[in-house]
Amino acid sequence: MRELDLYFGPQHLGMVGNFSITLRAEGDRILKATANPGYLHRGFEKLMEYRKWIQNFPMVCRINVVEPDSMEMVYAMAVESLAGIEVPERAQYIRSIYLELARVGSHLFGLWAYANMLGFDTVAQWAMYHRDLILDLFEELTGGRVYHIYIWPGGVRRDFPNGFKDKIVETLHTIGGCVPEYDSAFFHNRLFADRAKDVGKITQDRAKEMGATGQVLRATGMPYDIRKVAPYAAYDRVPWEVPIREKGDAYSRIWVVRDEMIESVHMIFKLLDNMPEGEVYNRIPNPFKWKIPAGETYVRCESSRGELGLYLVSNGEDKPYRVHFRTPSYPHGLIVLEDVLKNASIADVGNTMISLYVVAPEIDR
Amino acid sequence: MNKILRDELQSVFGAVRITTPENTRVIINAKKDTVLPLLRFLKEKGYQHLALISCVDWIEAQELEMVYILSAYLGSDHAFSDKEQTNVILKTRISRENPEFQTVIPVFQNAEPYERELHELYGIRFKNHPRLVPLFLDREYSIPPFRKDFDTRRYVKEVFDQVPFVEKEAEKV
Repeated sequence: MRELDLYFGPQHLGMVGNFSITLRAEGDRILKATANPGYLHRGFEKLMEYRKWIQNFPMVCRINVVEPDSMEMVYAMAVESLAGIEVPERAQYIRSIYLELARVGSHLFGLWAYANMLGFDTVAQWAMYHRDLILDLFEELTGGRVYHIYIWPGGVRRDFPNGFKDKIVETLHTIGGCVPEYDSAFFHNRLFADRAKDVGKITQDRAKEMGATGQVLRATGMPYDIRKVAPYAAYDRVPWEVPIREKGDAYSRIWVVRDEMIESVHMIFKLLDNMPEGEVYNRIPNPFKWKIPAGETYVRCESSRGELGLYLVSNGEDKPYRVHFRTPSYPHGLIVLEDVLKNASIADVGNTMISLYVVAPEIDR
Repeated sequence: MNKILRDELQSVFGAVRITTPENTRVIINAKKDTVLPLLRFLKEKGYQHLALISCVDWIEAQELEMVYILSAYLGSDHAFSDKEQTNVILKTRISRENPEFQTVIPVFQNAEPYERELHELYGIRFKNHPRLVPLFLDREYSIPPFRKDFDTRRYVKEVFDQVPFVEKEAEKV
C-alpha cells in the first residue's frame, strides 16, 4: 500500500493546544510519528534573564497555561533555596491547599479534553463547569481566575479571607457529590472502556527508559510522586495515598487522574483541619534592590502532569543568570508520544496524545 | 547514602570533585571525557532517571557548562528512601569557541530532545546524535539565541522594526 505523510495539528479537533505531529501512514497504520513543537516557543527562559527575581513571577505562570500554580511554586522554591528564606508553617499549609485545588482544576480540564475528544460532550461540559467553580475560589483568594501569582518567596501573598475555608469545603462537596454521576456516565461506561483500553500502552521499563513521570508512570504501577518522594510544602504533614494502576494504557491513565482528584479533595480536607494559625509570609529584602548570592539549585515538585523541575543559577546579581525548567510534558510529548504512536491506528492519535496529558506551552516554554 | 556514593565515585573515578551543598543534592564536577563512564556508573547505581540536561554559558570564562541532573526511580518494593530524595548533578565544561561534545543517548535514551534543544539554543554539536535538527525555531541566527552575547532586545528591534506599521502603510495609499 502507498505510504502517505499526514499532518496532524496544530489546528485539529483531536489536538489540544498548539502542537503538531507528522505521521507517516500506510493505510490506517502509523509507521512513524514525528512530534513538531515550537508553535508556542516564547523564549521565557531567556526573557527571565532580563528581569529581576520578583518580576519573573508573572512570567513563570504563563509557561503552563492550564496549571500555572505549580510553576509559581517551583520558582518560589528555587529562589528560597538560593536566598535561604524560610517559609512559615501556615504558609506551607496554604500552599499545599492552593496547589491541590489547582491540581483538581487542572485534572478537570484534562477530563474535559479527554471526554470531549471521545465524544462524551455532556461529561466534558460538567468537568468544565466544575473547574469554573474552582476558578471562582481562586478569584476570591487572589483576584485572578487563570493566572494568580499568589505564591511569593517566603510564603504566600495574603491569608485566606474570612469564611474562605467554608467556601472551599462547600465547593468541593458540590464537585464531590457528582462523582457517582461522573462514574456512571463516563468511568464505568462501556464505551469509554472499549475506546481506551490497550490504547497507547507502555510497560514500566519502557516508561522509565523514556524518562516518564506523573500519571504516565503511575499508570504502569509505580507510585512515584514527588510529593511523597521528596516532600515539600505541607505534604508530609497529613496521611495520603498515591493512586496507581497496572496496565499502562490510556484507560489506566485516566483512572489514575480520577483517583488523584478524589485523593486531592480528601487531602485538602485534612490540611484544612490541621492548619495552624500564624504568619503567612516572612519579609524579603526590597525586591527592586534584591541581590541573591551566587549559586545554583535544582528543585522539583509534582505538577498535575508529573515531575516539574527548575535548574536555577545566580551569579550574585539582581537577575537570574540561567533558568531551565524541566517540564513533565517534555519527555511525554517528544519521546513517549513518538514511541507509542508506532503501529497505532490514525483514529487513536488524539486519544493517545490527550491521555498522555501533554500540554504544548510547557514543552516549548 | 550520599557518603557511600561519594566514596564509591572517588575510588572508581579519582579525578572528580564532589560537593554536597544539601543532604538531597550531590554535585559532581568532572572532566569532559569521563562524563559517559560516570553516567553509566550512576545508572548502574540506580540513578536511572535523567531529569534534565542543561547548559550554562559562562561568557567570561569562555566556557559552556553542561549539566546532567539525575535522580532515582522507586525500587521494586515501592518503598520511599533517602535515595529517591537525592538529585545527582553532573557538570563538565567545554570550549565555547568550538562547542563539540559526545552524545549520551547510548546511556540515556531520553537525552535526544534535550541535546537537540541545546544544539539549537547554544550551538553545541553532539557527535553521533541521530537527529540534530532544529526543535523549536524557524529562523537562522548568527549567534545561537540562548548564549549570553545574543541580545534579545536588539534582535527584536533589528528584525521586527523592519516591518512597517499597518497605519503607516495605509497613509501611503
